[in-house]
Amino acid sequence: MTAAALAGPGFPRASLAARLGGAGWLFLAPAVVLMVAAYLAPLFDSIVISFHPNTPQGIDRAHWILGNYARLFDDYYATVLLRTLRVSVIITLLSVLLAYPVALWLAELSPRGQTWAILVYMSPWLVNTVVKSFGWTLILGNSGVINTGLRAAGLIDAPLRLMFNELGIVIGLLPGHFLFVLLPLWAALKGIDDNLRWAAMTLGARPGTVFLRITLPLTLPALIAGAIINFTMNMAAFAAPALLGGTRARVLSFVAYQVNLEELNWPFGGALAVAMLTVTLGCIALAQWVGGRLR
Amino acid sequence: MKRALTALNVLMIVYILAPIVLVVWMSFTPTMLFRIPITQFSLRWYYEVFSYSAYVDAALLSLRLGLLAALVAVAVGFCAAYGLVRWKPPGSAVLMGLFTAPLVVPAVVFGIAMLQFINRIGLYGSFTALLLAHVVLVMPFAVRTLQASIQEHGPELEWAAMSLGARRWRAVMLVTVPLCLRGMIAAFLFCFLISFSEITVTLFMTGPAHQTLPVRIFNYVSDRIDPTMAAVSSMVVLLTVVIALALNRLGALSELKK
Amino acid sequence: MPQEGRARPQAGLDVAGLIKRFGLSVAVAGVDLSVRPGEFFTVLGPSGCGKTTLLRMVSGILVPDGGRIAIGGRDVTAAPIWTRRVGLVFQNYALFPHMSVAQNVAFGLSMQGVAREERTARVARALGTVRLDGYEARRPSELSGGQQQRVALARAIVTEPDLLLLDEPLSNLDARLREDMRAELLELQRRVGITTVLVTHDIHEAFALSDRVAVMRAGKVEQLGAPTELYERPANRFVAGFLGPVNEWEGRVEARAEGQARVAVDGIGSFDVAAPANCAVGQTAWLVLRPERVCIEAAEATASGLVGRVDHVSHLGNLVNYRVALGARALAVQSPPLRGRTLGVGQSVRVSWHAGDVAAVAL
Repeated sequence: MTAAALAGPGFPRASLAARLGGAGWLFLAPAVVLMVAAYLAPLFDSIVISFHPNTPQGIDRAHWILGNYARLFDDYYATVLLRTLRVSVIITLLSVLLAYPVALWLAELSPRGQTWAILVYMSPWLVNTVVKSFGWTLILGNSGVINTGLRAAGLIDAPLRLMFNELGIVIGLLPGHFLFVLLPLWAALKGIDDNLRWAAMTLGARPGTVFLRITLPLTLPALIAGAIINFTMNMAAFAAPALLGGTRARVLSFVAYQVNLEELNWPFGGALAVAMLTVTLGCIALAQWVGGRLR
Repeated sequence: MKRALTALNVLMIVYILAPIVLVVWMSFTPTMLFRIPITQFSLRWYYEVFSYSAYVDAALLSLRLGLLAALVAVAVGFCAAYGLVRWKPPGSAVLMGLFTAPLVVPAVVFGIAMLQFINRIGLYGSFTALLLAHVVLVMPFAVRTLQASIQEHGPELEWAAMSLGARRWRAVMLVTVPLCLRGMIAAFLFCFLISFSEITVTLFMTGPAHQTLPVRIFNYVSDRIDPTMAAVSSMVVLLTVVIALALNRLGALSELKK
Repeated sequence: MPQEGRARPQAGLDVAGLIKRFGLSVAVAGVDLSVRPGEFFTVLGPSGCGKTTLLRMVSGILVPDGGRIAIGGRDVTAAPIWTRRVGLVFQNYALFPHMSVAQNVAFGLSMQGVAREERTARVARALGTVRLDGYEARRPSELSGGQQQRVALARAIVTEPDLLLLDEPLSNLDARLREDMRAELLELQRRVGITTVLVTHDIHEAFALSDRVAVMRAGKVEQLGAPTELYERPANRFVAGFLGPVNEWEGRVEARAEGQARVAVDGIGSFDVAAPANCAVGQTAWLVLRPERVCIEAAEATASGLVGRVDHVSHLGNLVNYRVALGARALAVQSPPLRGRTLGVGQSVRVSWHAGDVAAVAL
């Protein structure tokens, strides 16, 4: 037998590895076609539309303008953007503050306990937003559980305004988005070799010092990455802010809904979408940069 | 210290579960008004839900949409995940980015894009457009879950099957697919749950003809509060709990933690 | 630390009646040990024998369920881990991945509040001791296994602890590096003079390094003594077998007097040995003989010894292992290769040994 015979198509092992080469695209093709046609194409078209003027006759595809973007800086939209940012930052800060106590508590539980506790902390993300928001209106509304209870106890005369404002949005969004700070932090915490803590202690470090000098620096990248994801989700949230923020506390996503479905101004709606997309992608890039720097 | 941690976590869990528990609780009140504490217990609102065609139609639409979207996503997603794992094409990171982009890109952005796009191509208000959007939205969950599942089993078993004379597609069908059955079930349930809960994109796309259950609840919550809604919501919660427990059992949720 | 003339006297370690349970299983079932100041002491045993649990109780990571621990005469049984003044080297080194080599080594000093200049000087000296000068700014992940090992050692001794505890420190290194590190470790310990307790399952490591060795099994110390003492005079069959391959024979005590006993083994003969504990005439006794103590010759070359037939041969290069059939018994023999000829399977041979090489052991 010659080397040529070995290299020929009859040699099984080599052809086994190679055979998928050409067929590989066949496996990937349906998903790629679907994502390009039903995902990238609409997104791309939306970006294109945002550079066209809106006319009473429809979108004027013959002209290219930047006016839709200039309008983002109008007072009303600037106020909405600021509100959205403020609410998002508050939720992220609260999530970060709560993440360590929760993750440290989780880490102390038995493996079984951890599974269940994680499931409970996941539940707000798994349960339908609309259902959860409905629940919050039952709790926070003027005739909701809290106001009824406080009034019955004689503590207040007029109902407290707990929803249809920024507070309502924060209360409603925090549980579902908290998870995205908690899970990476918990995973990072579990990933720390126990021996590191013991090593620090044999060298004279007390538990508080161990947390500050070992645990905190080793989990910080995960915390920051989670916080940024959390922030982008807060910025993009739609249904819960719409139901709990009401007309007084409109956020960016709801204004985008109004512009597109009530004003039917799609070019401007597209500009709003591009703005939101830019913020999100910017945050993701920041998260990856931070992750790379701290590793 | 440990006590304080436990106390804080108990508070957190109460806070997290409060709206869900309250909805279920309320659904059993017999009166039109929500009153606390609840002294009577009634299934009245559950009966009313089923005589209310708006809810029944919406629920049926959501079920049909979720099942179909999950089916398509698992089929397409399995092929894609298989291609990614076994073939490792150049630029597979870009492809993975494409498949998981809906996790990252805000749903509102996709909703706006979809609204404009389906109008342009004349599919506004059609079930097909809605289905396509849902398949796209659940695709990340399908591809990720299935990728992990395929990775669990190396190519050696397929090689063994092929060395015994099976062609690749038979090796995949006879070896890989049965081995990945758990992953496929998990991916299917996951996709169904995500599709069944989807509100944002659907709300942007949906005409009056196709109001899914979440959209209908959304429209009602904005208008008025009605105990039948608590009953509908409770059934949604029950379905979610069942699926979540199944997913947990299948280990699909721990995949998410990574 | 590693300078001549330590400021403080060397401390010993005393462990009395130490017990640790995990749920229903008993990991350490009453251990008594006394490690002399300056000694290199090894706890040797198979995995799961409780040796790591013992070490973790001494270091303070685990709280014992019973018994006392004293370091340098100071009772530390209930003392928090950060007050114990022990240097601990972990099997996986446990270097802080987010700190440089210098920061790792300086950690203990900064916990003690040592001033910056002194800290820098002592870190440099410690790194010099482990031959890692110039590695201060590296990250642990940039070091080889052997280098990480040395950083871990430097970090453990820089604070001048009373006691150095080593938990299987060499087991993650490859074979050749392990030999080098073994020599280096011993040299370092002698130079610094620190009381050291090593935990290992590796017999060669234990024998090469230790002044004394405690062999553990199932949470108990089976035998404690100098390495040669354990090897030559194992207290029981477990110790004999654990420390190396051994021929074991079950015999009957024929006579005993003055600490001596005569034990008869069917098909082999009778042996006069030091009497094992509580043996009486007529009872069963176990005799052991190391394979390398057996002389093997072709049957025609000699007239002394028992006649047998070679059953199996395996060449290890510098040594040859034989299995010789002596009637119904099999005898393991290890010897250097015979010059000029080999003993093949089926060949008739004679085997012999010094009477003193046969020892009686307890069950």
